[in-house]
Amino acid sequence: MKRAIHHLTTLSLLALSLLQAATLHARAKAAPADNDRTIQAMRDEMARAKTRLELSIPGTDAPVRPYFVQYRLLDVDVKTVIAEFGALLSSTTTRNRFMAVEARIGGYKLDSSNFVGEDGFRGFIGSSGAVGIDRDYDSLRQDLWIATDQAFKEAVETYSRKRAYLSSLARQPDMDDFSREQPIVSVDPRLEPDWSARNWDQEARDASAALRAYPQLYNSRVTYYFLYATEYLLTSEGTEIRASRSLASIEAGLETLADDGMPLHHFYSTYAARPAELPGTDAVRKGLNVSATELVALRAAPPAQDYTGPVLFEARAAAPLLAQMLGPSLNGSRPPLAFAPVMDQILTSFGGKSDWVGRIGARVFPAGVTLVDDPSAKDYRGQPLLGGFSVDEEGVRAQKLTLVENGALKNLLMSRRPGPDSDRSNGHGRSAFLNDPRPTMSNLLFSSSETVSSDELRKRFLDKCREEKLAYCIVVREMDNPILSFDRQDDFSELLASLGGGAGTGDRLPLVVYRVYPADGREELVRGSRIIGLSVRALRNLAGIGDDSYVHNYMQSQITGFAGTALGAFGTAQGGLPASVVAPSLLFDEVEVRGARGEPKRLPLVSAPQLTATR
Amino acid sequence: MTTPGRLRVSPLLLVLSLLGVCLPAQLPVAQAAPRNGDGRPEANAARSPLLGAMKAELDRSLDVLGKLDPPAYFIGYTVTETQRADVSGSNGALLTSAEAKNRWLEVAVRSGSYDLDNTRKVGERMAGNAGPGSPVPVDDDAEVLRRAIWLETDRQYRAAAEALIKIKTGKEVKVQTAEGQAPDFSRETPRTSIGPQASFTLDRRPWEQKVRAYTRVFRDSPAIINSIVTFAAQARNQYQVTSEGTQLQFGEVRYRLELFIQGKAPDGMDINRYFNFDWVNPADAPDEKAVAAAEATMRKELEGLVAAPLIEPTAGPAMLTGRAAAVFFHEVFGHRAEGHRQKDIMEGQTFARKVGEPILPDFLSITDDPTMKRLATTDLLGYYQFDDEGVPAQRVPLIEHGVLRNFEMSRSPLIGFPNSNGHGRRQLGFAPVSRQGNLIVQSNKAVTNAQLRAKLVELIKSQGKPFGLLIDDIAGGFTFTGRGQPQAFQVLPLVVYKVFPDGRPDELVRGVDIVGTPLVSLTKIVATGDTPEVFNGYCGAESGSVPVAAASPAILISELEVQKKETSTDKPPILPPPAHDVVKTGASQ
Repeated sequence: MKRAIHHLTTLSLLALSLLQAATLHARAKAAPADNDRTIQAMRDEMARAKTRLELSIPGTDAPVRPYFVQYRLLDVDVKTVIAEFGALLSSTTTRNRFMAVEARIGGYKLDSSNFVGEDGFRGFIGSSGAVGIDRDYDSLRQDLWIATDQAFKEAVETYSRKRAYLSSLARQPDMDDFSREQPIVSVDPRLEPDWSARNWDQEARDASAALRAYPQLYNSRVTYYFLYATEYLLTSEGTEIRASRSLASIEAGLETLADDGMPLHHFYSTYAARPAELPGTDAVRKGLNVSATELVALRAAPPAQDYTGPVLFEARAAAPLLAQMLGPSLNGSRPPLAFAPVMDQILTSFGGKSDWVGRIGARVFPAGVTLVDDPSAKDYRGQPLLGGFSVDEEGVRAQKLTLVENGALKNLLMSRRPGPDSDRSNGHGRSAFLNDPRPTMSNLLFSSSETVSSDELRKRFLDKCREEKLAYCIVVREMDNPILSFDRQDDFSELLASLGGGAGTGDRLPLVVYRVYPADGREELVRGSRIIGLSVRALRNLAGIGDDSYVHNYMQSQITGFAGTALGAFGTAQGGLPASVVAPSLLFDEVEVRGARGEPKRLPLVSAPQLTATR
Repeated sequence: MTTPGRLRVSPLLLVLSLLGVCLPAQLPVAQAAPRNGDGRPEANAARSPLLGAMKAELDRSLDVLGKLDPPAYFIGYTVTETQRADVSGSNGALLTSAEAKNRWLEVAVRSGSYDLDNTRKVGERMAGNAGPGSPVPVDDDAEVLRRAIWLETDRQYRAAAEALIKIKTGKEVKVQTAEGQAPDFSRETPRTSIGPQASFTLDRRPWEQKVRAYTRVFRDSPAIINSIVTFAAQARNQYQVTSEGTQLQFGEVRYRLELFIQGKAPDGMDINRYFNFDWVNPADAPDEKAVAAAEATMRKELEGLVAAPLIEPTAGPAMLTGRAAAVFFHEVFGHRAEGHRQKDIMEGQTFARKVGEPILPDFLSITDDPTMKRLATTDLLGYYQFDDEGVPAQRVPLIEHGVLRNFEMSRSPLIGFPNSNGHGRRQLGFAPVSRQGNLIVQSNKAVTNAQLRAKLVELIKSQGKPFGLLIDDIAGGFTFTGRGQPQAFQVLPLVVYKVFPDGRPDELVRGVDIVGTPLVSLTKIVATGDTPEVFNGYCGAESGSVPVAAASPAILISELEVQKKETSTDKPPILPPPAHDVVKTGASQ
């Protein structure tokens, strides 16, 4: 049928109780007067699903019924403008709606979820897919009817396969499948798309034209992306939510080859909650110029050599580094039961397993460090933070959490999928575009009671360098985001192939890397470095923490296989989940940096055609 | 709406999705395309600045790459500009309504020589592929376009040079068939033609209202669990330059309305009905009456099929209505008359050495004529001016009075067929191969459809069968042309009736596919009707999905075999449709 654009994985959600729901809020809030019949249609189809959906299984007495049914619906208006070197590649505006229906069989303790079976293609009519955009009643009833039927039948099948699988295991899982939470009713006003104030086509042309001044670039692409999303959630427990969000972004990837054939990349990105808050053309041109200038400098820089020793991550690099390292570790929910052990292996190699589960109370940072995840924070010292939300995608109110206090692990991020350390959600079951919600950070704030000034940190760094009698030491000024910086899909796939095995054990991709010579403080740009083996364990013994801070707004990937892994911090606005990390400069005592490797590419056989700086 | 992907998707799997329109009793009238071969722009045509930029970059590339070892002996650039408006709806509401414009660059680089180049298939190895091309700006910016061409050309040359080296090594150790001795690329006269650029302006709002209304009607039937209606307008302009001197600019606008409904039989079998309208002139859009009639038929057939009994595998006489026959010919004959299938060692080469021999009854002739714009009042989807290798479309007599005469040819020559006849076609991003355009079946043993039906009943009686089959609609099918599989075809009939010899009313049945082998099946056609009917659709094969048409009168086959259809085991929905639920749970408003 209608294409299920973001098809849900089978590592699905969790469930609640019908009993509970029955006693809870009647329709506390009346439907707002905006001609939106969505919730009404959901309620009415839900009423049928709750009372009349049942299957008789041969050989059993009582018919099977769902103990939990959930409707999610996503209403998206998207504008995308892409330009390269001053010319428009495309400009599109679309409006779509998607639904995802989930039904659960069994009970909170053991149900049809958290099981990765051997599912195949289930046909054209599924439990998810595109639905009508009119916000009308009748067509949505029809779509929900079929999707609910399908979700229920799938759950019945999965439940029986899961129980068969469990009966083959020596030890049964001792964790519940789904946490019990208080239902919420919260219907917010709908945000209407507003992107007509500025001529975005022309801005994209004008901004990207700045890159014409760099004929050394092979490819470049500047993407303006605007999103208005309204998400609906209705559960058989009584939760009813309508919440809107918007996002505006400019993302650019720049590519070239060094003269020896080493592929080099750079990127530029900026994010805002509303289109009007995006920087103007001059500011974007300036940002693109900085990236392009650095990239051109990288072309001329010497290839990096293997190195082991102190590494200073300046705040601009430390914040994205923490985003990559902590993303998987902060996840406190259990992984799903996998029918195929290969799933387990994939998760491990991409760093999808948390190193911190089961370690509550253990010291994970130096003693003065505090780590807070605050979904309610709007800004950090006046700089906007992007990761805020009030209710998560499972209908649980967002909580501000102290994750690390005085260096010791206190809490993990929880969705409604229980884990070894907690069987309750703390409102961090997040996802974008109807993907499977998983424990995900919002605004992550790193602070420490023991910091030093930038000068002092640098001095400490150089002292260590001298102590170890190294000719030079490494400063990382910016981390790469390959999903933005790589323009061509095949190049990106190549990178993934080389990174795949190492991501789980701490391979990191620095972008702007300098050698600092302690003898005279001279700095020298190098290209092609990769950090290896930098796992969260290294955070226990940070050698120094700066008193500065950098706000890193970024997109968490929602792509299956990326989401929740060490690659999860590599996202784009198109299909990403906004988050922010605030961090100071960080000094590590010993980091292994691998020098330039990989097959060089051959330079083009024909010289580049002319590119004039002004059109 | 192609056949589900349960079969391996490979070049050997040919999926066709076609649907047609009934025609009044008219003989085919071919309208030749206005051709312009003298290189001057047509009166209302302006030469796009793209061509100049492409030519300049081509000259620069050839100057360097043409002198390397191995040399690039042919370089071709194609920029395809697509303007689209899409309005779709489902179950009474709008699904999408959007417009978009883009340009796509494809670069073909051939290294070696016309006789032996990087596209040669040696043994089982597939030809190398350096990617489908890249998007280029919709703004006319020569410098940015040339930059994209520069990088894409480099990529394609490297892939071609690498492939050629492998081929030259592989060729020494692999057995060559006689068919494989043909050159790799034909020499063709370069063409220059500057046609008018196509575009449309469209107010989507009236179509949004229509699409909503067309799909809302289907909610009236409890048997219809899902409906999708799509309107699409597309203007496509192609700009092509080659190192041989060809320079083309041409475009066309097409409109399409598709209706699709789904249901489920009590045993879980999925039942679909589909209908499409295709037109070129905005004034030819189907009116409310035509759409309503199509929808009523679809609904009636779907409701009938949901309730229809299953039939068992059987073999016996069958009549195919014109539109069903057209798909039958497209699958069973048309694909096997595609030139490259006579060459590749992996192919079954069903007809490779049968030129000049009778393969059909002598009353049948078949041509493939992409120069035909319309058949009677129906626009033909397989019309085009130039194929995707820059060769003018040509009318090709494939079968004359039963005798095989020719193949649909791309620029990949066969022994005895050194030239293209303008059938090298592809979907954007694929390499062209020989494909069908408008496959037209003509008969000089035509009787009225009523007489044909009488003949069917006679055959049933003379063969002593309890019933025969009347096949009214075919969804498409797949045909195995590769050597690894039996040379069989399978065609998926959607609307099948049992016809009884005793005059009882026809009985709608479901659950069978038509199977057979081409050389046998084609000779069992015993008579035809006198009314050609047209199918317009998109045909998928190794060069992607291309628009095609097929036209045929009804045919009578003395023996046709049907086998059980693969089917879904998912039960019908547990609850009745919300609009048809008599129990008022949840009607809380």
